[in-house]
Amino acid sequence: MVEKELIEECRNGDLHNFRKVVEKSTPLIFTVAFRMLGDEDAAYDIVQDTMVTVWQKLDEIKTAASYKTWVYRIAVNKCYDQLRKQKRQKEERFGEREWEIISNHLSEGGNTELENMENAMIINMLTNRLSPRQKAVFVLSELEGLDSDEIVKITGMTRSLVKANLYYARKNIGQLLKKYL
Amino acid sequence: MTKENDNYDRLVRMLRNSRPDLFRPENIENEVIKRIQSRNQSSGMFSGFIDALFGWVYIGWVRRSLIGVSVLLVAIFVYQQAFIIRQVNNISKQVVIIGSESSSVSSSALDKRLALYRLTVRLSPDREIRISESRLEELLDSYDDLQVKYKDLLRIIEEDPELKSYIENRLKEDKEYKPDI
Repeated sequence: MVEKELIEECRNGDLHNFRKVVEKSTPLIFTVAFRMLGDEDAAYDIVQDTMVTVWQKLDEIKTAASYKTWVYRIAVNKCYDQLRKQKRQKEERFGEREWEIISNHLSEGGNTELENMENAMIINMLTNRLSPRQKAVFVLSELEGLDSDEIVKITGMTRSLVKANLYYARKNIGQLLKKYL
Repeated sequence: MTKENDNYDRLVRMLRNSRPDLFRPENIENEVIKRIQSRNQSSGMFSGFIDALFGWVYIGWVRRSLIGVSVLLVAIFVYQQAFIIRQVNNISKQVVIIGSESSSVSSSALDKRLALYRLTVRLSPDREIRISESRLEELLDSYDDLQVKYKDLLRIIEEDPELKSYIENRLKEDKEYKPDI
């Protein structure tokens, strides 16, 4: 994802090369933040915060291969903080109209490319009642397609805790689908 | 496969395929670089303030002068300590124990005592002399009287070569005559 030489240059304070690192890392961080938070603006903020932290902690990167996991971990931790704030601020409610939109998409075979607004709405509807940990495991496993070893490294949970959180996340979402669709 | 499972799989597939669109990623890059630069700048301002306060210590001739003054101060301190230790050693060699009658004395009496101590040390350096304070006062008074009465004696002897040679001869004879005591 990011080459060793590029990281070395950045460690020496080369901001020009760090711009390349930002360019390569931004899509990854934005996607995971967007999916965890269900909010485009908040996801942009997470990307910026994460990249500033990456710059400050460049010395902590052991190998270029571990960069992706390391960046994921920073971003997920920032999302946890954001989710805790959001939890205090708002409790979202969704009505019949929103579930109808989902139903229409599923009846089309589920191959629709969602726009950001719809995408955020559906994620929020499905994960609104999940805990931050369940949300993180659901996003990383089901949407990002990471294996359990990577999720263990990113979240710092044990393997069994990852499995348990994923089980409850699936169960919770399954119950919602059963109820509304 | 149940209906809920089917809906769940289709929904997850739809979300996984719909990666959120990232608009104007260059804005994020610029914002990240700007934030890093402003952080660097604020830390640079702090170090500039420190330099303004203490930067003068890096001026060559100031450093050399400070080193020179420090060495001089250390040398003066060492010399003073050595001088004090030497004086203390001299005084401790001249102590005469005068029993339990020791008491505080005036400066003129102290002068007398010092004179006597020097005299006794010269006469018998290895012996300890015990004498009461009243007897000591008496001895010192008579010593003073002698000094007053015969203060011109040495001058008269020096000025008269005949008298001088006579006294020298008498002293020589006294030295040669040592009666058994």
